[in-house]
Amino acid sequence: MEKSQQDCQEELAALKKEFDDFVYIVSHDIKSPMRAIANIATWIEEDLSNGLTQDVTSNFELLKNRVNRLENMMNGLLELSRVERAELEFYCVNIPKMMSSCFDLYRNNHVEFTLDTTIVTENFITLGAKFQKVILGLLDNAVRFNDKEQIKIRVTILESDDEFTIEITDNGPGIPEEVVPKIFSIFYTVNSKDVVNTTGAGLAISCKILKLVGGKLKYTAGISNGSIFTLNWPKNIILKN
Amino acid sequence: MNQKLVNILLVEDDEVDVMNVKRAFSKNNIMNPLFVAGNGIEALEMLENQIIPLPKIIILDINMPKMNGIEFLKIMREKEKLKNISVFVMTTSNEDTDKINAYNLNVAGYILKPLSFEKFLTSVATLKNFWQLCEM
Repeated sequence: MEKSQQDCQEELAALKKEFDDFVYIVSHDIKSPMRAIANIATWIEEDLSNGLTQDVTSNFELLKNRVNRLENMMNGLLELSRVERAELEFYCVNIPKMMSSCFDLYRNNHVEFTLDTTIVTENFITLGAKFQKVILGLLDNAVRFNDKEQIKIRVTILESDDEFTIEITDNGPGIPEEVVPKIFSIFYTVNSKDVVNTTGAGLAISCKILKLVGGKLKYTAGISNGSIFTLNWPKNIILKN
Repeated sequence: MNQKLVNILLVEDDEVDVMNVKRAFSKNNIMNPLFVAGNGIEALEMLENQIIPLPKIIILDINMPKMNGIEFLKIMREKEKLKNISVFVMTTSNEDTDKINAYNLNVAGYILKPLSFEKFLTSVATLKNFWQLCEM
């Protein structure tokens, strides 16, 4: 017997929910044994404090650092599983104001921001927390992975009848062509996680947010190195359910 | 001086978390008598049958087998003898729903179990100030 389209849709929705619940429960419940490992390592280190060689001390540091990384990854997974459930409030966002408050966060990092915009609609009602999360995530990547002394980030905002197009260009190292298809996968990092301390969850979370709102996120290589992330954010968002 | 210290009941099922609290107590020179129950049912039994002296403070985990922290709080708040005890919720859950449920049942504080013992020490040191007020 062939399934009707509605049956398939219902089944898909149920599967999606089951998957989100699974990720949530797993990442949540794994936290307590993980915490136990971190705590016990600290206690052993404290109890042995007088007789520790340099080697043992640095191994303890490594152990705690890796548990920390595990926690960040778990938090990333949790966040990913909650994209469709948390922070779903619509409120009024003033785009230029929001941008400048995002830029302010990096005031101490010697970052040179340029904002290029011709938008007419400055205020619009949207999923504000999600919108800011995506923008901040992209700015954070542009700063964090930048290898230049003077970091330069240019943000261009265009407006059409039904969406905003936001382009974030940086003067960083760019992303090697062969790994570009992988950058939106969870936990993928271009360099070893030892080089730049990051979990690799940010772009996966941003992508899921854009899927939720019906927008798009894409990467293109900059003309002279650097990365360009282009984000399309719809003016009207219709949430299913 | 010693008899003025209030009793504290810790309701927690994870052995390492119990050790964690004990260790944080001794590091912060908290000498209050500490009693431990492994879940809500055990805690209610200890309180109702007066197996332990009535505590002024309860530190409560949320995720526990048999009877979880929120269920325990609900029952406790309905009992004349127990309803005035200050409760601090201590949990890994950073979920808004868990926090709202807890605050709706009048908890004195919500402590997130951090990954590092050092951070936990700081939380406990803050609580110590509050407990000393209870002892006055």
